[in-house]
Amino acid sequence: MTQVTMEEVWKDINLASLHPHRQLNIDHEPVLSNQTPNKSIFQDFLNKPLNQEPPPSSSSTHHGSLLAPPATVISLNTHFIDTHFDESAMFGCFGKKRGQDSDDSRGDRRHNRMTKNRESAARSRARKQAYINELELEIVHLKKENARLKRQEEQLKMAEATQHQTKKILQRSWTSPF
Amino acid sequence: MSVNNRDPLVVGGVIGDVLERFTRSIDLRVTYGQREVTNGLDIRPSQIINKPRVEIGGEDLRNFYTLVMVDPDVPSPSNPHLREYLHWLVTDIPATTGTNFGNEIVSYESPRPTSGIHRLVLVLFRQLGRQTVYEPGWRPQFNTREFAALYNLSLPVAAVYFNCQRDNGCGGRRT
Repeated sequence: MTQVTMEEVWKDINLASLHPHRQLNIDHEPVLSNQTPNKSIFQDFLNKPLNQEPPPSSSSTHHGSLLAPPATVISLNTHFIDTHFDESAMFGCFGKKRGQDSDDSRGDRRHNRMTKNRESAARSRARKQAYINELELEIVHLKKENARLKRQEEQLKMAEATQHQTKKILQRSWTSPF
Repeated sequence: MSVNNRDPLVVGGVIGDVLERFTRSIDLRVTYGQREVTNGLDIRPSQIINKPRVEIGGEDLRNFYTLVMVDPDVPSPSNPHLREYLHWLVTDIPATTGTNFGNEIVSYESPRPTSGIHRLVLVLFRQLGRQTVYEPGWRPQFNTREFAALYNLSLPVAAVYFNCQRDNGCGGRRT
């Protein structure tokens, strides 16, 4: 696998998402020309280290005119990445570092966002599951208590019934002298 | 009642983020107004402005307990770099009574989460005896585990937690 920048990997993903029927033919990436180009890109993308130093060759092109790389890419990703490339064109005027950063950081930011979203989704699932588990425990507890109280009520009723029977007959409890 | 992996405290991450596994041994009832707090309940800040009624179990009035209330998700659950925020600290609560009979070392501060859905955890510890607990000095970056170690409180005897997000707008999602 040849050295590929984060940006190029993201381009492929964006292309795929925007034009699902279009064939992705990237010559220098044999992995990507398979039946499932999207999936392999995604996995590679996840496994890649976050902060990749761009190879020296691309950095030298950024040096001179920043217009060259953005121009070629704009033709592929018109609707989606316009604004971002305007940014990078602007930053390019201030020096090579800024230009590189905006390219890299865009990929980084998206990666970051994905991770955060994943964590947030996990928290949401945990919240839901914890609440459900608590409710289930309560149900068990309440059922037991209900059964116990019903038994208690039965016993009290029976006890009252027998007491009632004996009380109907007036009896002497103490015998007095008179 | 021992703690298993389905325990709401484990699933909700309270065991791990705030506490070690422990076995419940004392009843703990926390009530805000008419609502009794059960694990994972969603409560809005407007409902928890005033301190809740807290009743504890146990049998021997000679045993004293400490109640800690913390928010481990400050300032937001996705970035809790100020974990934990101490909302309330009451010591010397005699068994079978409640927080009204204890010593309020750190007064109740009503939670007002600005970002995300926060967990609010109430933990009950048994004290070795009546003891002097010094107020921590500040509320953020409190550590319940360390606090318990410092005052020889050992493992908790009870805990409950609920969820809280801001009253209006989306507390769960950034716009």
